[in-house]
Amino acid sequence: MKKYFLIYLLSSIIYGQSGIEIAKMVDTRKTPKDQSNITKMVLTNSKGKQRTNIVRSKSMDGNKKQIMWFMEPKDDKGVAFLKIENDGKDDEMRMWLPAFKKVRRISSKKRGDSFMGSDLSYEDLSTREIADHDYSRLDDQTINSKLCYVLEIFPKKGTNSSYSKHISWIEQSTLMILKEESFDKRGQLKKKKEFSNKELYEYLVMKRIFVEDVQKKHSTEVTFEELKVDTGISINLFQEKNLKRLPKN
Amino acid sequence: MDKVIKKYSDHPLRSWFIRQSLDYPKRTIIFSILLTLIVGSGAQFFIIDDDMIKLLPKNLDSRVSWDAIQDEFGSTEVILVAFGKKGKSVFNPEAMATLWDLTEAIESTDQVEELTSISSATRMDNIDGFMEIDDLQLYRDLSQQEVNKIEEYLNKNPTLKKRFVSEDDEYLLATIQPYESGSLNTFRDSVTAIAKPILSNYEVHYGGQAYVTGTMPAMIRDDVVSLARIGILIMVTILLLNLRSFSGVFLVIMVIGLSLVAMIGFMGWIYHLTGSDRFLFTLANTSMPIILLTIANSDGVHVVSKFFKELRLKQDSRIALAATMDTLLIPIFLTTITTIAAFATMTLSPIEPLFGYGIVIGAGIGWAWFLSSLLLPAVISLKKWNKDSNAITKPSIFEKIINRFGKVVLTHPKYVFSVGVVFVIIGFTGLSKVVVDVNMVKFFKPGSEIRDSWDFLDEEMTGTIDIRVRVEGDMKNPETLSSMIKLQSVMEEDEKVITSYSIANVVEQMHRAVMNDDPNYEIIPENREKVNNLFTMYSMSGDPDNFSTMVDYDYKVGLITAFSKVMTTTEIFDYVEKMNQEVKLLKAADIDLEFTGMIVILRDLVVMIVNSSVLSIIISLIIIGIIASVFFKRILWGILAVIPLSSAVIINFGFMGYFGIELSHITALLSSIIIGVGVDFSIHYISQFRRLSRSVDSKKLSKEVIDDVGYPIILDAGSNMGFGALLFSVFLPIQYIGGLMVFAMVSTSLGTLTILAALAELLKHRLINKG
Repeated sequence: MKKYFLIYLLSSIIYGQSGIEIAKMVDTRKTPKDQSNITKMVLTNSKGKQRTNIVRSKSMDGNKKQIMWFMEPKDDKGVAFLKIENDGKDDEMRMWLPAFKKVRRISSKKRGDSFMGSDLSYEDLSTREIADHDYSRLDDQTINSKLCYVLEIFPKKGTNSSYSKHISWIEQSTLMILKEESFDKRGQLKKKKEFSNKELYEYLVMKRIFVEDVQKKHSTEVTFEELKVDTGISINLFQEKNLKRLPKN
Repeated sequence: MDKVIKKYSDHPLRSWFIRQSLDYPKRTIIFSILLTLIVGSGAQFFIIDDDMIKLLPKNLDSRVSWDAIQDEFGSTEVILVAFGKKGKSVFNPEAMATLWDLTEAIESTDQVEELTSISSATRMDNIDGFMEIDDLQLYRDLSQQEVNKIEEYLNKNPTLKKRFVSEDDEYLLATIQPYESGSLNTFRDSVTAIAKPILSNYEVHYGGQAYVTGTMPAMIRDDVVSLARIGILIMVTILLLNLRSFSGVFLVIMVIGLSLVAMIGFMGWIYHLTGSDRFLFTLANTSMPIILLTIANSDGVHVVSKFFKELRLKQDSRIALAATMDTLLIPIFLTTITTIAAFATMTLSPIEPLFGYGIVIGAGIGWAWFLSSLLLPAVISLKKWNKDSNAITKPSIFEKIINRFGKVVLTHPKYVFSVGVVFVIIGFTGLSKVVVDVNMVKFFKPGSEIRDSWDFLDEEMTGTIDIRVRVEGDMKNPETLSSMIKLQSVMEEDEKVITSYSIANVVEQMHRAVMNDDPNYEIIPENREKVNNLFTMYSMSGDPDNFSTMVDYDYKVGLITAFSKVMTTTEIFDYVEKMNQEVKLLKAADIDLEFTGMIVILRDLVVMIVNSSVLSIIISLIIIGIIASVFFKRILWGILAVIPLSSAVIINFGFMGYFGIELSHITALLSSIIIGVGVDFSIHYISQFRRLSRSVDSKKLSKEVIDDVGYPIILDAGSNMGFGALLFSVFLPIQYIGGLMVFAMVSTSLGTLTILAALAELLKHRLINKG
């Protein structure tokens, strides 16, 4: 036992943190209590055709509670979406359909399904639970002059995931993810993701995500504008009744 | 004597040709073989592909619509895999697990764009107020109760059920769509290789256009090889019986073999250089090697048999060869030109592979002439011939028959002519009975695996003929969607159309799910906002990619897909006409629609085949008439040359009508082949008639001509029985061509020796005086 501990200690000194330790560091990184922004999503298909969606979004608890009001395309104006992630249970998702004047609850069983027709799935947007994954650290690499930890992340057996593996590049100085590649169940590369961040008060928050589904040859660029953090969003905002009206700010 | 040999011929060009064979035989042989090998090396670029769509010109409306649909919605050519056990419902856990395994295994290949089956389908439910979009089959191993839920859902959605399960619930269906750019034969091989072990415990049926197209190259390749073997065997047997000389037979086979090498190589080169689909080797081309074999054989037979005859008379092989070539160079050249001309008319055909067929076989025939005129006499001149052999000293069986035949024609020309005319009249009355049918299923024999599978899918599943309507308009506009639903109901009014589906059906289904699963709401919502809300909601809970085969990315173009059982040509025409009327009405309502799919392709092919056949017959007869008139310096000869051909064409098509042999893009070749091959007989006869008319008494003229050319004509026709090899093809239309060509050889050769001979005898005074 002593021998194993010594090996572990030595390797820790030589290689620094293990994969799981880095994942924990990322997970405990300081994040805003709440966030609001205008999310612009540009979808481009294999033939170069584009679709643009703009939504006003407010979220808290690291996106575990999120409400969105659709602004563009014009056809979608008035539609609103509420998502509340519940630990250990299916997420609760509701939509306000103004033309029907009805709120409809929708299912979220298929985590691999696309979110709003984009290349981001519900799984991509959800918090990755550390306990549900195995982490292994690869050799560090430099991306755009930024030294990165490189982690291989495997969903544990029994975890509801549409992926077999991810490789993530995490900037060492900020613990922000810069790049990720996700592999499907067959082990084939499925998505390439690039992230860029900006500093807002004492936080580093994402300002752009670019995802390419290499198999479908479809891409999505998400940009977050009018970013605000810690504005004191009330938990009461995340209620069905608030879907029906677009907030002024 | 030496002077005669050196001069060889009165004509400088003929003399030059003969000199190459007699004075420089080794050089001529090396040059000919080397050139053949260079051309033959193009075989490396030779490609077998039989895609029905590639038959159509790229600018044809239905082809344009088809291509647009492929571009917008992915490949519409699919492989259908149906499996199950007769008498047992597929709604059991074991069958569902097998379907799951099949779906997973096939989806994991990189050639499959989409697989549609129960295992890959989604369900849309309203559960306790939840609009739930989920997998229809959640996992591989289901309990019987879970399977029952799937059955219940499908029974509630009969349109969906028709796409996945057979009418009696005994078979499951998976529809597999390849990537548009992929090769269908690799795709087909890959799908069957994966499915075979997974479905080993089930009765399996494959079908769909992609399956047939993917299966064809290997079938065509095997068929061509087998037919060529049988064809050569038949020819060798006939040649041996008549030439009674192994060396003679070998020489003819050498010409045939090298011509074939050159033709295949030429086809490869021309495809390589042009990249045109017209030069792909399709099912229609299956008959091509056999046709070339017979034509090349014909040239060779004339040279060898004439040489034997001359050797018998002159007893000196060099003199005999010089005399042979001096007599035959012009007729062989002329028959080559006229045969090429007949096949060249195929280039006017709107059916793409027929264009390539005409060019490539023309090149092959040209090469056969080149080898027969240079290589063959060069090889003959190098061999030492035994002048005492039976082949040279004694006339063959054919020669003896011809002697008797000549007497009959000469004694009763009017009687012989009348019998010929009666045959033509009988043939003429059969023309109206000819049915045009291009459905590929009819190309396979009943009882063959591919035909049985096709029939099974037609009877038990959705049908195999696809019908598509491309709808251009606002796919979120309720009026557009309602029009689509209306059109679908009209489409389904025909009892052979089993099912149809479009994005409009999905909208109806979503509407019902949102409205608490109330069946009264399974309709198109009344305004655009509601339709849009439904699509947005789907994008939040399901994968909008599920709609990619029904609506384009911008929701501006939709696709209605329907499947029908095999229809007759008349039914296809009526159906397409009816649908076009419906489409016109909807167009008036400001929606742009294009009616297409395999059904329209079949309709257009029928029209093209009829036009192509008529055009090919008329043009080739005119060209041959003109060539004969020019060469023989008399219009009457031109007319007489085409009479036996026209008669043979009428008799053949008439017999097709009587025997119910359908005219398809494969059998449409018949007219060109009959004219192209049959013209040789007329040319030989007229050529000899003119030649002998200068020296022989008019009373004995016809007898002398028949004596002289009758034998090679009958031997030519006899050795052309190699066409009979086509009777052994696995493809029915090729078999029909084989049978009809055997008949055509008999009718054209006899037509020449009866109708033409009788007419020449009747008109001899005019022909001799002004000839």
